[in-house]
Amino acid sequence: MTYIPSADDLEVITREVWTSFLDGDPSGLIAESGDMPADKITGCVYLSGAYTGSIMLQCSPPAARDAAAALYSMAPASVTQTEVVDALGEIANMVGGNVKSMLPGPSTLSLPSVVQGQLSVPGTRMVREVQLSWRAQPLFVSLWQQAS
Amino acid sequence: MLAMVIDDSSAMRLILGRIMRSLGFDVVDAPNGAEAIARLQSGVLPDIALVDWNMPVMDGLAFVNAVRREEKWRQITLMMVTTESEQSQIVRALAAGAHEYVIKPFTPDAIADKLALLGVLAY
Repeated sequence: MTYIPSADDLEVITREVWTSFLDGDPSGLIAESGDMPADKITGCVYLSGAYTGSIMLQCSPPAARDAAAALYSMAPASVTQTEVVDALGEIANMVGGNVKSMLPGPSTLSLPSVVQGQLSVPGTRMVREVQLSWRAQPLFVSLWQQAS
Repeated sequence: MLAMVIDDSSAMRLILGRIMRSLGFDVVDAPNGAEAIARLQSGVLPDIALVDWNMPVMDGLAFVNAVRREEKWRQITLMMVTTESEQSQIVRALAAGAHEYVIKPFTPDAIADKLALLGVLAY
């Protein structure tokens, strides 16, 4: 039986990343459902090996801009698209790497991909998701698994 | 003392650079292992390199292997700073010649503690 990290695990890992690098206030991330806009930003890392799938982090463009601003310690208005892509990729990488440590191994972690909109990986299905909000903006983290 | 931060994320280079400067280091950086090797070949000789694992062009493990093959770079302390947290990966990095291993996310104190353990502190 393969252990799949729970939604609570995803939340704990995301909170750890957020508290370490984005928002020293652990209460900044709130567990609540929300509507993700169609122009969301998606950061994703892929796993292949004993576990094949992906970990996706999705947030609204304002949340992505604020996350990049926090990571770079700069004003949100000064953040460039390149910095948003770098920041979301690195955040997805950190969340994904820590989720990977809870999955069966060995597996290989890809470099992160960042796109605007929905990222679909054919042949995979979502097995876990946690819906959070940060600064009143939606932030979803999900774990996907290749269908057997 | 000189630290080299090697990470493909510019945000992470900024964060680690800031931490190392706060600890008294001068800092140079590179976005992947190949560019870091080029800097070493140009004569830059850091006291410590903080090395991400997953990077394009040349990853962190290949960088560690390349550094350890060169006698003239033996004195460089190598610390992996990465999201790769599988035990088997940690063992691989240490076996290749990395001295320490820090898993992202980290705190500035965690970096300072590891440097103290290694006896690599600027002051």
